[in-house]
Amino acid sequence: MNQILLITDGGSNVGESPVIAAAQAYAEGITVNVAGVVDDGSVGEQGAVEIAEIARAGGGMSRIVSTRLLSQTVQMMTRQTVQGTIRQAVNQELRQLLGVESVAELPPAKRAEVVRVMEDLSENSPLRVALLIDASGSMKPKLAAVEEAIRDLGLSLQARKGESAVAVFHFPGELSNEACMLDLDWTDAPSRLGAIFAKLRMKGTTPTGPALLRVVEFFRETCGKINTEPQQPTTLIKRDDNGGVRSDYVV
Amino acid sequence: MITSSEKQLPPGTVLRGKWNGKRYRLERLLGLGANGQVYLASNGSRTCAVKIGKETEDLQAEANVLASLDQRERRRPPFLLDVDDAELQGRRFPFYAMQYVPGSPVKTYLRQHGAQWFGVIGYRLLERLAELHEAGWVFGDVKSDNVLVSDYGRVALVDYGGATGIGRGVRQFTEIYDRGYWAAGSRTADPAYDVFAVAVLWIHALDGKRLLQLTRTLLPQNRHPRELVELVRTNPTLQPMESWLDRALYGRFQHAREAGEYWRALVHAAAHPKTAREGQVPGWMAGLLAASVLLCGTAAVIWFLH
Repeated sequence: MNQILLITDGGSNVGESPVIAAAQAYAEGITVNVAGVVDDGSVGEQGAVEIAEIARAGGGMSRIVSTRLLSQTVQMMTRQTVQGTIRQAVNQELRQLLGVESVAELPPAKRAEVVRVMEDLSENSPLRVALLIDASGSMKPKLAAVEEAIRDLGLSLQARKGESAVAVFHFPGELSNEACMLDLDWTDAPSRLGAIFAKLRMKGTTPTGPALLRVVEFFRETCGKINTEPQQPTTLIKRDDNGGVRSDYVV
Repeated sequence: MITSSEKQLPPGTVLRGKWNGKRYRLERLLGLGANGQVYLASNGSRTCAVKIGKETEDLQAEANVLASLDQRERRRPPFLLDVDDAELQGRRFPFYAMQYVPGSPVKTYLRQHGAQWFGVIGYRLLERLAELHEAGWVFGDVKSDNVLVSDYGRVALVDYGGATGIGRGVRQFTEIYDRGYWAAGSRTADPAYDVFAVAVLWIHALDGKRLLQLTRTLLPQNRHPRELVELVRTNPTLQPMESWLDRALYGRFQHAREAGEYWRALVHAAAHPKTAREGQVPGWMAGLLAASVLLCGTAAVIWFLH
């Protein structure tokens, strides 16, 4: 299972459309989630629309939250996406094997076993999450919360039984032609991010689209060819709508 | 966060199970869990609680935990009564019916009946958790709302949405009760995870203002169990349990049984402060006694010899 988590506070302004980039990521088997971080004011209407669109195109979910709720939200989205991916794959199997649309169509007595299998898969399947962090000037006061969210996500991933890894990128990169920069290669213990974050030089442009595409390439370079499962995007979009019900403290 | 936007079902709403055919009349909302709403309901003359959710998988996962507990603890009435779907306003909702547990959240109970009840409640809570651990589950989301207390400090756990098989990643938790949040250990489900949350529960219940103040002001990199121990040390109600809370917060209980035993011992010691002190006679006192016995003996011998 592969995920990109984009943490940003506003709209993109350079290069390819981030919505198309997210759609490309999803086509290659990577789900894209977006956390919009705001403290005072808002991301603006345009920013909010773009955040929602990126997630929809990327088969994931989006949330606009304050820095205080960032850790919780990052975890919730990561976990729900894992569950969503597994549910989708299992429901696909059910369709082929039994001709039912989803586990909800099975009689309750049979659901118990299927759900147990889903839970085992969610817990044990290998998971990779690439975090892509907007390092434009306005994000500076929010970086402490971002750092904390990454540490916290690391804790939850380490607790899983399955293999888990995170990588961290920020954008724009240091060089003018660099869409984003790798801060931390795949690791199961994302610590010592403080040093990296202290070095960040905040810049004005926000090349969200090119940065997303660069991370998709990184997945391909480091994980080999990603196996794309036949997927039905509608299911995940639906999950986005009702995900909020249990968004409070779900990990 | 968004649960408030969820519509409540009006009292009198009837759920008709699609598969098992049972009917439930909803009486009132009991509470909101992360995965759905819980109502007090009646099925014929029988009162029960019904949890209605949106995601079949989430509700079924909870029902699985209850079923596995029922299978293990056969001497008591079952927790899980029914799992089914119902159609409401043209939409299908999964639900399950379970035993109704009367009672109020720990914090409310202590406010109404006095803080002196926390000794009994604490012991019963640890016993309950120990049973759960012995069945292979960690509760995960220990917090005031999920620990219901009824007459004379009887304790029941509700909302098994966080229940996690031992050794897996805790499924659901509340930030300030979480061991990982306080940099006091992993988020892997083990008995000590629940015991840690119990320690925070007591701080939250008896010194809530200062705890919340601490979580607001403390920088993430400074979160540490010593900060919680510091609160305990300066609170007169919690202080008698300081050594228990200290061990729980630092993960020095392997099992909830062990934690329960130690809790019990402290409750008794706190009730009889004198007997607790009698156990340990200071060294100098023993030495003095020995010396005086010796002196007395010598005097007696000398007296006899004369």
